[in-house]
Amino acid sequence: MQSHKFLVSKYLLIVAVLICAFVLLMGFESSENTYKPTRHTVTIFKMKFNPENLVVNKGDTVVWINKDFYQHDVTEMTSRKWTSKPFNQGESWSKVITGDIKYYCDLHKVMKGTITVAK
Amino acid sequence: MKTKARYKLTIICALVMATSGLMMAQDAPKLTDPEIASVAVVANQIDIDYGKVALKRSKNKEVTDFANRMIEDHSAVIDQAVALVTKLGVTPKDNAVSQSLMSQSKETLKKLNSVSKKDFDKTYIDNEVAYHEAVIGAVKNVLIPQAQNSELKDLLEAVLPALEAHLGHAIMAQSKISK
Ligand SMILES: [Cu+2]
Repeated sequence: MQSHKFLVSKYLLIVAVLICAFVLLMGFESSENTYKPTRHTVTIFKMKFNPENLVVNKGDTVVWINKDFYQHDVTEMTSRKWTSKPFNQGESWSKVITGDIKYYCDLHKVMKGTITVAK
Repeated sequence: MKTKARYKLTIICALVMATSGLMMAQDAPKLTDPEIASVAVVANQIDIDYGKVALKRSKNKEVTDFANRMIEDHSAVIDQAVALVTKLGVTPKDNAVSQSLMSQSKETLKKLNSVSKKDFDKTYIDNEVAYHEAVIGAVKNVLIPQAQNSELKDLLEAVLPALEAHLGHAIMAQSKISK
């Protein structure tokens, strides 16, 4: 009886250790392989993108918020591949970042900014 | 020798006094807040008027885009100024600076309306560069330092970067037009 009880508890201990190891491995695996995308904010104020130059991870979202009482837009600079279209004070526009970007405001062409994907 | 030195000193003193007196009289007219509000509204309205002539007379997209931007942005400033004086219970007060801005702008409008179509774009953009330079100087050196109300000062300080962006934009357009 005594040895049987001992065997059962030994068996339970092994199972528990295995489950723990499995859970731990799963946990590590998920935290290593799936990066949780973050949101970054670029404030548009007094005719400037702030921060002007921003480094993000691939898949992150950047939100531009217009705090000026002038309209602004966010437009790809090299060939105008995409644009936010003009937006007003208090409004925002966002984009998921998949690569490096140079952008400007097509309404106020001297306003410029960059997004760089961290290597 | 001694009298000569004294004579020189007197002349230098007189010169310094005369120039500083002139600078004070010319460069920094004394303005109250209601007068500053009037100058701000008039200065913005003038550039809207120039922009409207450009929309009427130009076919160049560079020029019409710029003119549309001037109309939009300067209207936004006027809206802000009107909202502020309403909130403060202040009535913009006509003054020498507003009047001289108005009379100068009448001359410029005459020129913009009468210049040949082929010379219009260059005349308009050259004037925009000069006008924004002059207004930036006035806002920086007269209006902001003399504004008493802090909200009026804040508004003028928010207008300055826009004027500078417009100037940069005008200079870009100028270089494209002269090509
Ligand atoms: Cu803009």
